[in-house]
This record gives sequence, structure tokens and C-alpha cells, in this order.
Amino acid sequence: MTDAVATREALRVVGRPVVRHDARDKVAAATAYAADWALPGMLHAAVLRSPYPSARIVRLDTKRAAAMAGVAVVLTARDVPRNTLSTDVPGQTTAVGPLRATLHVLAEGRVRHQGEPVALVAAETLELARDAVEAIEVEYEVTPGVFTPEAALAPGAPAVHGTGNLLAEWRIARGDVARALSGAKVVVEGEYTTQLVDAAYLEPESGVAWIDSDGVITIRLSTQVIEHFRDVAEVLQVPHNRVRVIGTYLGGGFGGKEDVTVEAYLGLLALKTGRPVKMVWTRQESLLSRAKRHPYRLRYRTGAAANGEIVAQQIELLADAGAYAYLSALVLLYSTVTAAGPYRVPAVEVDARVAYTNNPPTSAMRGFGAMQTVFAYESQMDRVARALNIDPVAVRRVNALRRGDTLPVGQVIETHVAIPEVCERAWAALGPRAPARAPHLKVGRGLACNFQPYGRIVWLHDWASAWIGFEMDGSLVVRCGCPDVGGGQASSLCQIASEVLGVTLTRISVHVSDSALTPLAGTTTASRQLYMSGNAVLKTARELRAQLLRVAAPMLGGDADELDMDEDRVVTADGRTLAIADLLRECARVGVPRSHLGVYHAPAGEPVDLATGSGKVFPDYTFGAHAAEVEVDTETGVVRVLAYAAAHDVGRAINPQSVEGQIQGGAVQGLGYGLMEEVVVEDGINLTTSFATYLIPTAADVPDVRAVVVESGEGLGPFNARGIGEPPIGPPAAAIANAIEDATGARITRLPITAERVARALGLLG
Amino acid sequence: MYPFEYVAPDTLDTVLGLLREHGDEAKILAGGQSLIPILHYRLAKPRVVIDINGLPLGDIVVENGRLGVGALVRYHQLEESDAIARRCPLLAEAARLIGNVRVRTLGTVGGSLAHADPAAELPAVMTALDARLAVASPSGRRTVAAREFFTGPLTTVLAPDEIVTGVEMDAVPGYGWAVEELSRRAGDFAVVAAVALVSLDRRGRVDDARVAFGGVADRPVHARGAEDALRGREPTAEALARGAQAARDALNPPSDAFVSGVYRRHVAGVLCRRALTRAVERALGRT
Amino acid sequence: MIARLVLNGRPREVDVRGNQTLLEMLRDTLGIFDVKEGCDEGVCGVCTVLLDGRPVSSCLVLAAALRGRAVVTLRGLELNGGLHPLQEAFVRHGAVQCGFCTPGMLLTTLAFLEREPRPDREAIRAALEGNLCRCTGYTKIVDAVEAYVRGESGPQ
Repeated sequence: MTDAVATREALRVVGRPVVRHDARDKVAAATAYAADWALPGMLHAAVLRSPYPSARIVRLDTKRAAAMAGVAVVLTARDVPRNTLSTDVPGQTTAVGPLRATLHVLAEGRVRHQGEPVALVAAETLELARDAVEAIEVEYEVTPGVFTPEAALAPGAPAVHGTGNLLAEWRIARGDVARALSGAKVVVEGEYTTQLVDAAYLEPESGVAWIDSDGVITIRLSTQVIEHFRDVAEVLQVPHNRVRVIGTYLGGGFGGKEDVTVEAYLGLLALKTGRPVKMVWTRQESLLSRAKRHPYRLRYRTGAAANGEIVAQQIELLADAGAYAYLSALVLLYSTVTAAGPYRVPAVEVDARVAYTNNPPTSAMRGFGAMQTVFAYESQMDRVARALNIDPVAVRRVNALRRGDTLPVGQVIETHVAIPEVCERAWAALGPRAPARAPHLKVGRGLACNFQPYGRIVWLHDWASAWIGFEMDGSLVVRCGCPDVGGGQASSLCQIASEVLGVTLTRISVHVSDSALTPLAGTTTASRQLYMSGNAVLKTARELRAQLLRVAAPMLGGDADELDMDEDRVVTADGRTLAIADLLRECARVGVPRSHLGVYHAPAGEPVDLATGSGKVFPDYTFGAHAAEVEVDTETGVVRVLAYAAAHDVGRAINPQSVEGQIQGGAVQGLGYGLMEEVVVEDGINLTTSFATYLIPTAADVPDVRAVVVESGEGLGPFNARGIGEPPIGPPAAAIANAIEDATGARITRLPITAERVARALGLLG
Repeated sequence: MYPFEYVAPDTLDTVLGLLREHGDEAKILAGGQSLIPILHYRLAKPRVVIDINGLPLGDIVVENGRLGVGALVRYHQLEESDAIARRCPLLAEAARLIGNVRVRTLGTVGGSLAHADPAAELPAVMTALDARLAVASPSGRRTVAAREFFTGPLTTVLAPDEIVTGVEMDAVPGYGWAVEELSRRAGDFAVVAAVALVSLDRRGRVDDARVAFGGVADRPVHARGAEDALRGREPTAEALARGAQAARDALNPPSDAFVSGVYRRHVAGVLCRRALTRAVERALGRT
Repeated sequence: MIARLVLNGRPREVDVRGNQTLLEMLRDTLGIFDVKEGCDEGVCGVCTVLLDGRPVSSCLVLAAALRGRAVVTLRGLELNGGLHPLQEAFVRHGAVQCGFCTPGMLLTTLAFLEREPRPDREAIRAALEGNLCRCTGYTKIVDAVEAYVRGESGPQ
């Protein structure tokens, strides 16, 4: 393993826990979030949503609503210039084939899920808009719906769309699974069920749109993808250059703001009324209708040899896409590629399917399909270890992928795999075992590791661009299309620019997330942003630096290669200096630009047909392991997490404090998934549409998360960093389930692990 | 929200007059922690909202071995009051479990009782205490026993023109007390709550026991069977367990989308035993 | 009607509708964005203000019902135009990610510390149980509060 500490070059700014510029603004509430915006003459918008999961719209009459005082406009499907939204893999300009999906902006003739938007209102006040929504006359004829993927795929099931209900299928077949299983020392069979969950960002979907000079429809909103300006332009049937999306600093995203949310409505209403329009979803509305995480049924048969080596995995995955495809096919692809875990498995079969139902639609969420599989493969791993009497760390060590190994999909692992190290360090970080406080309280420990892709699928030809320029006084401007979801995305770019160009961090200002004014950098999703826009800024800064040093060299006498940039100066090897402002004046004099626009292209690959071929799918992966100590009340089933540690190899931590924060935040979100979060839907009706019923962890529900940052020095991001946005959300549910089995012998295979489920597994309920 | 008429009368008589005039088109605003979300979501649309926070109903009074708590006493006052700590510390322990710190700043005793959430702590506590609610209407005043006040989910005996002005209970110094609660998440409202008060005679036997549950039915449940099983007995672990079992066996809790009736019943038994155990330890002066 | 209050130390009289909440009055009428809207049911805590020194959900308070009481929002914490040491501690300890929960966390913490000046980590967590955070996982928020209690200026 590369010893990162020994070989790391001396870095000045990268690798330090610098204070983020946005943190100062946020503690003073100086950050203007999307809803903190008002313009003169602004209207307020509200949406009429279907109360039924499957129905025909028999009658829709908006006359009474439109005639109400203070109502500017009421719109339905026929008022939308092009009522189709294509949810491409966002940000891509390359064709994406079966990954493309469509849905309507406003329902046309029928609704397929509860909460589906049917009509739009803009009025002088929010109260009037909601009154008008209530005054819209709509008659539905309820039609038969289908509410589980199993039912959806059964013969004769009602078709959610014109086609059959099977939305996508991916298959991997490698080696002879049947033979390997028959020769295995143990075969562990398990069926695992994961639940529907919501991103539950604290900032609801919000935005304001207005028509700016030259007819540019400008939408200022909370979004992870500013490239949706193209989708809005298509809906409005205006040229793409007439729509501008300004992304604000988000109050949380987690994948829930990856699809189009309020943009299309805002653009439409601004265009129709000619006035500024604001839309802020209520929490109820967001919990009801925003796309969620795919629930899965995961069936595993895992065969292992006596020494713990996995000899075969036979895996069947079935996911619920809800009523509209959104990014379901892509999510399923992530599950398929990661289904066998970060392990060397010679024989693997994966059969993965996702089906339409009339449940709430599902789409992107932190982890994106590679998260649900962790619960299954790490529960299986633990059960294999128990069956063979091998300890949890040892069984992972024996099976961990190594550089040069091949994934089931045929991709060769090209970078260091830190699985053994992160397992050992997470386990050790739990510290001394807590004693049981009373006879009915049992303490146990569990380990779970994972791997999460970072960066886009390689055949999508991902790229990101950035512009960096000096002002005449030596202060620096960075412009990059990268939305900041709160993880310090914008701040990291400043750190990288500061490192390369030697500009003091406080002399850098960064502008992000504006589709008209910042070079596009793609989505803040897929743990790709540090990798992509970080590399874009790195590349651009290096190119700018070379450009400037070519001018500096004759000024200082000597070679450009021997010059450094530090503390706002150019420095020679023998310590002579040139103030940056002086260099910039010389650049102006000789006509050399003080700025540069750079593009970083991720290494691309050819499309892989998972059913027949094999090859590289993702650029790379982030490997991690979590360890949990729990206390189980064996009289009530209540589980308390006593201690928690999370270790990830991040390649290099650009900002160690931000990295720790991502690990801790992701771990707690994962604990919520494991212990308490569930969107309860019965026959398509959502029963958890408030924060009183949809429960996310509070400070009293979780212990300190001991974040262990491992730096192998290998990663494809800037300074060898790896993506860390998503990886920490994967392991917690399995770590908890494994710890509960250690404490009580009971294995829970359904999420969330509620006290009642534990009580049942302990036999308390007869 | 939607348009309603907001009025803030200074006197109880004015409030009662408004209730007589508007009946069930009016709603009382006390702490607002339950009412305002209902108005936000338009689950109810009263024409008039009567803010009673200006009425002099915020006192805690001790008199003749009885403790009187005004309807506008806030949950945090229950936590912080010396009189309650001395005379009925059960109220302080229960108050600490209610909601979050913001709810405890504004939420009121009267509001909790009138709202009658079957899982709420105070209705169960008042049931255990055998408290008596003071009710005012335009036609006069009456007293209703807590054990008769709650008639269903979010339903009480209150007529549309009646309001709770306070609640009175025996001051119970010398009693041991405990509230045990299980919730889906820390600090959440209870799935099941068990309330126990126990006093011991000079021989160390149970002289009086008062037990009630929240979250196991459509209203708080007075566990008469458990009380009978315990009176006169030595409070051994076995006796307490039998009492808890008697309480549990009398229950038939409903299931909802999140928690089954079978689980509620099981947990009620466990929490009752734990509440009785702690109450006895307190009665013995051990904690 | 008129809402009467003392807002961040200044007596104010504001024209409001009878059904307008304190949250709406602050944001929509007065343009004070220190308070956010997260759930409209008093659960998430992003709308927290201090009312006579105690935390309340401003989404659940009617503006007309204020009766001259004292309301403090985040800008009421400023010391000599600069950040309060607790705000500094949040910044230095990485306790701020998306920032949406931050104003509520700060106000709740300060009100709590008035009553309990030397809490341990467990007590801090219990005190902040009513303020949801989805980004940080809470550890660094507790670190920041603990550091502030100890009078430290930055992470060790």
C-alpha cells in the first residue's frame, strides 16, 4: 500500500482543514437560499396534485379558479408548449440509450401516482394560490393499480404505461455458479427487503423565476443540476440560450434535487404571466410527491469455502420504480455492478429487474442503487463468517478485491483497494467494549464494508470545465458550474486554485452554479463533483500557471520550470520574488491573457452490454468500512447505538474537516435508513407526509461518529482524491444488523430495523 | 394558511360568549402546537380563532392538600415549578418527555387535555392521578373526572361552547412515581406510555396504586385491574410483574401503519412493570 | 391588525393579517431571512426564534398574538457587528455544511446554556434533540458547542 504520508509532496493548502467561506456566511444567515428571494410584482405558485394513485381524469375545469380575484393564471397540460420532460442522465450530451426516460410536466388524461401534478396556479399571494387550487374542479375515475413489483410483473397485471411493467433488466453471468455452489462448504441463503425513503433535506424544493433582459427566462432555484435549463427550454419550446438556471447554495440535496423539480413550473408560469413567480413546496408536498429511493427485494445465495473464501454469489434483485422511470434504469445498473460487494468472487450471477408500479416514483438518492445492495451483501458476509466461525474482519480480508482483480462485470480494478485496512481501523476505532448496563440489555458489535462508484459511467464521456482569472490587483476569480450542496464543493475549488497558483485563500472569490455565466461542470451527484470540477480547476489552474510563468521567466531570468507561485508572488529557486500584481501588469503589456478556460475530460470507455460482454463501467470506487456497537433491550427490542466508527479511503483529503463531515453526515443518514426511516405506502397512498411521521435521526438518536480518514494517495480526483459524497451512507444498516445478531443471535433482514421487528425476531410477540 | 378571524379576549366571559356565538366554527388557541399545524394543512377551517393566552389561567396553586394547575400553565413550567417538584413530581417527569424544547415553551396543560391525543403523556398522567378538570361554559361551571373526560381519539366530553380552565389533583407527597415511555425515535411522541404512582403503608405494603397508559387505545386507559392486584400486597418483583401482567392482559390495542397492536400490548406490560418498579423505589426513598 | 413585539432589542409595530405567523411576518413582511421554513409543524427547528429567551417555532406563533414580547433572531446575537463566539466555534469546527439548520441550532444552544452552563456531550445532544440536521450527523455541532463551553477558540 502506498504510504501517502511518506510520498506526499509538501502541500500548502490542500490537505488542511481550512475554514470554508460559505460557513461564515451561513452562521450569520447571510446566505440567500432559493426561498430567500423576492422581486417586485412577484406571484406565488401552487400545484394541484392527484389524490389517487391510478385514475383517469374525467373532467378538469379551471374556469372558477381562474376567475378568482388575485389569480393570475391556471394552467393544465394543454397549456404546456411541450408537455414532455426527458429525464436523461442529466448533464450528458452523449446519447444514453435505454437510460432515457420521459414524463409529463402536467398530467394528460390520467394519473399514475398519488401526488402527480395535474394543474398549476399563480396568484398574488400563496394563500390565494392555494384557495384557487382548491377551487379547481376535477373528477377522477379510479382505475385498477398495481402496488408491488411482484404484482406488477405477474401476468395480467394492469399496465402502468402503454408497455409492460418491466422497465429495465440487467444481467451478469460469470463462471459456473451452480457447480461452485454445490461444491461450497456453506451456502447461505437470504432474502432482504429495503424500504422507500425520502431525501428529507431541510430546505424544501424552492425557486423564483423571472424574465430578464432580452427575454431570458431566469430561474433561481435549489438544484443539483443547472443543465436542466435545456429541459426547461424544450418544455417551453424556446431556444436553449433563452433559459438561464442560477443554482443557489442548497439546503441539502442528497439526490432529491437531481431531477427537475420546480424549474419547469416556474419557467412556464413566468413565461405565461410575464411576471416573477415563486414556488416553495410544503414539507407535506415534498414528502408526498418528490421522487424517492428505490425499495428493493434482494435474494442472495452465497457459497463459501472452509477458509471463508466466497466461491459463488447468485443474486436476484427486484426494485420498484414507482409510476415514472426517472433514473431507475441507471440506479439498477449501479446495483447490478456492485451486487457482489468489494470481493473477489469467481462465479457470479446477477439478475436485476425494476418494475413500474403506481407507487410514488423513485429516482436518484445518495448511494444510487449501490447503497441498497450493501445491506444484502454485508449481511450475507457476516452470516458466512458466523457459519464458518471466522471473525468479521478476517472474512473481509480474505475476500477483499485487490488491484488487478476483476469485478463480476469484467472491470479490472486499477487502484488500491483499502478494504482490509478500513475494516481493521473502523473495528479498532470502537475502543473498549461497553459493559451491559443491566441483564436485559445485550451489547454487540457489527462490521460492514462497501464500495461506491465515484465519477460517471465511462461511456457517458463525462467532462467539466472551469474558468480562472486574475484581477489586476492579484486577487483571483474562479468560475465553475458546480452546484454546492453543502459539502464544501465551492470551497474545495478555491483550495485547489490556491494550491496551484499560490494565491492566499482569502483573496479568491468563487462563482458557481450559473448556466449562463459559469462554465458548465456537470451535476453535483454521483460523487463526481470533486473528481470532475476539482480536476477541471486543477487542470485550468496548471495551464494558467504555465501561461503566466512563461511571462515571468524572462522577468526573473531563468527557466519557467524553476519558478514557484506562493503567497501571492512568483518565487525563484534562490529566493528572489516578483509580486503577482507586477507580473499581471506585464502580461497585460505583452498581451498574454491573465485568465484561462479549461476542460477536464474523464477517461472515456466503450459501452458495455452487461448481458453479453464485460468491461469497465465506472472510473473507480471508494472503499470503506463501518463498525457499530449497539445495545439491544431484549424486553422491548429497542436498539441504542452506543459507539460508531466509519473509515474510508479517500485517496487524499483536500479538506480533512469537510471529509470528516461528509463521513459523519452520511453515516447518520445511513443510520436513519437502518433504524427508523420509512415512507409507508398502502395501496399507493402515502401515509407519511409530515415530519411527525417520517422520522429522521435527531442528535439524541446517534452517538459521535468517529471518522477515520484513510489516504492511500491513489484516486482519480485532484491530488489523488476519491469521491466521498455517497460512500458513507452505504454500510450503516448492515453494520447495525450485524451488531444486533452479535448481541442477540437474531438476524433482521427487513429495513428499517424498528424495535418491533427486533422484538418479533427475539420471539417476544409469540 | 387561509383567512380566519383572530380575536384575543381579555376575560373568560368574553371567550365563553364567543364560543356560544360561534360554536364549532370557533377554535381555541392556547399553545398553538397542535392547532396551528392543523390550520396550516387546512385539516380544519374554523371561521374564528380565539386566543385565550390573555386569560389569568396560568397559576399553579397548592391548597388543602390539593394541587391546582391552570389551563395555560406551560409544559416547561411543570418542569421548573418548585410546588410541583414538592407536591407532584410526576408532572415534572412527564413534562420532560413531551415533544421538543420548543413545544415545551408554549404548549399548555389545558391544550394537551382538550386535544386528547391518545398517545399524549398528560392525559395518561391525569388519568393515573384521578385528576378533576374544571370546565367553563356560558351556562356555568362543572368538574369532570379525567377518567371520564376522554371519549375517543382527539375527542372529549367538551361541548363546542366549553373550555378547560384548569385541572386539580391530590398533592401526592410521599408517593413514588414514574413515567416510562417507548417512542419510535428519541424525543418523539410516545408509542406507549405507562404512568404509575405508588404509596406504601407503614408495613411497607402497597397502600394506594394508580396506573394508567397512553398509546394503547383510542383514549388513555386507567389500569384498574393492576391497581386492584397490587393494593395491600408487598411490592416484590413478582407482585409488580403480576400487576403489570394484569394491566397488560386487560388491553386490546389497535394496530396502525407503524406499530402493531400486539407489540403495543407487549410493551405496555414491560413499561408498566418498569414504572411500578421505579415508583416503588421512589416510595421507599431509594431514589 | 398590529403585531407588537420587541425584535432584536427594538420595539416594533407591524401591520399583519390575523392569520399570519411570526415566521411569515419576519420573512415576507420584514425581509428577515434569519429564520427558515422547513416543515410548518414545529418539528424541524429551522424557524426557531427566542421568545422571552426561550426557543419557540415561529411557524406556530401567530404574529398578532405576540403582545409586546421579546423576539430574538440570529442577527440579535451579533456582538459589535461581529460574530458571536458560538458562531465562530461553529465555523472553526466544521459544524456548518448546508447551513439550513444552523440559525436554529445556535439560538437553541445559547438559550440552553443560559440554564445549564456546563453541560457534557450527552446533555448537549439532548438539548438539541428538537433541531434536525441532515448534513453533519451532529458530531461536529456537539464539538463546536463543547469547545465554546470550554472557552476554546478553534479545534485542537
